[in-house]
Amino acid sequence: MPTDPPAFLSFENVRFDYSGAAIVDGVDWAVGRGAIHCLLGRSGCGKTTLLKLAAGLFTPATGRVRLDGAAVCGPGDAVGFVFQAPTLLEWLTVLDNVLLPVTLHRRATADDRARALDLLELVGLAGLADRGPRALSGGQQSRVALARALIADPALLLLDEPFAALDALTREELQEDLLRLCAQRGTTALFVTHDIAEAVYLGDRVAVMADGQLRHSLSIDLPRPRPRDLRYDPRFNALCRELRHAMDGATGLRRAEAAE
Amino acid sequence: MTTRIAAILLPLLLLAGWEGYCRWSGIPALVLPPPSAVGAALWSGLASGRLLPHLAVTAAEMALGLGIGCLVGFVAGVALAEVAGLRRLLYPYVIASQVVPKLALAPLFILWFGFGMTSTVAITALICFFPLLENTLTGLDRVDPAKQELFRMLRAGRWRTLTRLKIPAGLPVILAGLRVAVVLALVGAVVGEFIGGRQGLGASIIAAQGMMDTPLMFALFAVITALGMLVYQATLLIERWLLSRQAKG
Repeated sequence: MPTDPPAFLSFENVRFDYSGAAIVDGVDWAVGRGAIHCLLGRSGCGKTTLLKLAAGLFTPATGRVRLDGAAVCGPGDAVGFVFQAPTLLEWLTVLDNVLLPVTLHRRATADDRARALDLLELVGLAGLADRGPRALSGGQQSRVALARALIADPALLLLDEPFAALDALTREELQEDLLRLCAQRGTTALFVTHDIAEAVYLGDRVAVMADGQLRHSLSIDLPRPRPRDLRYDPRFNALCRELRHAMDGATGLRRAEAAE
Repeated sequence: MTTRIAAILLPLLLLAGWEGYCRWSGIPALVLPPPSAVGAALWSGLASGRLLPHLAVTAAEMALGLGIGCLVGFVAGVALAEVAGLRRLLYPYVIASQVVPKLALAPLFILWFGFGMTSTVAITALICFFPLLENTLTGLDRVDPAKQELFRMLRAGRWRTLTRLKIPAGLPVILAGLRVAVVLALVGAVVGEFIGGRQGLGASIIAAQGMMDTPLMFALFAVITALGMLVYQATLLIERWLLSRQAKG
């Protein structure tokens, strides 16, 4: 086995409880710098909680989350977060929404504005900078949220099912845009999803989560950059099938435990 | 088009019916004056300038009471929304202060502030305080938790979260409270004058009642209604302007 590069983001035996029950139960996981990892699981399996632990929004009961060697103990500059819903502020323009992470702390400079406009262009929203979020489609709102998460140029991007509410075509477009942006900037990403194809298309590695534990992991040995047609490749489908079985197995285990 | 014609015809019809009833039923003008007499009283009051100082006093009391009450209500609403301990401690008293009929406090206010504007302004402010407090509290409470989490992720402090998220997000609810306060302010000012006013439209109604000048009382009702409509419409305009500015960013 080749030696892995030192992990950029790592979970070390992380546990998180909520009202007595373990939501995240002893997770060990490492994401290398520049890699994209996906957490795959059914709703309620604890994957969002794990992501928020990585963001520093929650503090683990035991264990530790490390980012670039240092323990995470609160939201930081180096991390961008994309939520399930776009959570745009309706009373700000698209441009001001993208600039929000900056303007909350200091006045935006002409340089910031130029960067925001560049980002909007990269996510395909050039010319919509002065619109209000209500005038945008769901896909466009998700694009704005992505641009907002990238404005501070974070080394780590955490994404919590950001495209789950979109139609299939828009979702695929956004997946392609996300891969392009991460590759351009060398951004490390941890992507939470319940969509197997999405996990395989995006990830270098996919972890299957159930009942707060990582039950299975799979390396996705598909070439990068990943063309759109890769989704119809037999290898792609084989990986999807393998993950599907792993998910069924993880649930089966849960059923067996419940039966005991 | 039909509704528009109806909108013009309806008041004319009502006025004509009222006038006709007064003329043919022989009801004394002391009980119900015909609209023509009310119009004449209104005209003479306005043309001679006798009503204007009263109008000015009532408008000033309303504006001052509304301003003070809304400002204090807003600030108190923000404080109670932000500090949970303060809310648990003080909210019962706030409710109690609202269950007390404010006008029943008027005699006490007259004792404290004397006859005249000050006690009326105090009553008006007390009446306007609650809708703003209540709506500010509700507006700030109802902010989308996902957006609050976003602000936490962006390391926005409490003050930034309040000014950049909670108040803008709660603004529509807060402004709805303002609209309620505006209507109540007029009631507060007029009824406050009934009890402790020397001047103003409410005091004039009491004076007209003393002189058994019923047409003048009706004329004063008309002036008060017009004042209320004007201020209410102005509030709607301000509300629309603020929200549209917000929508544009």
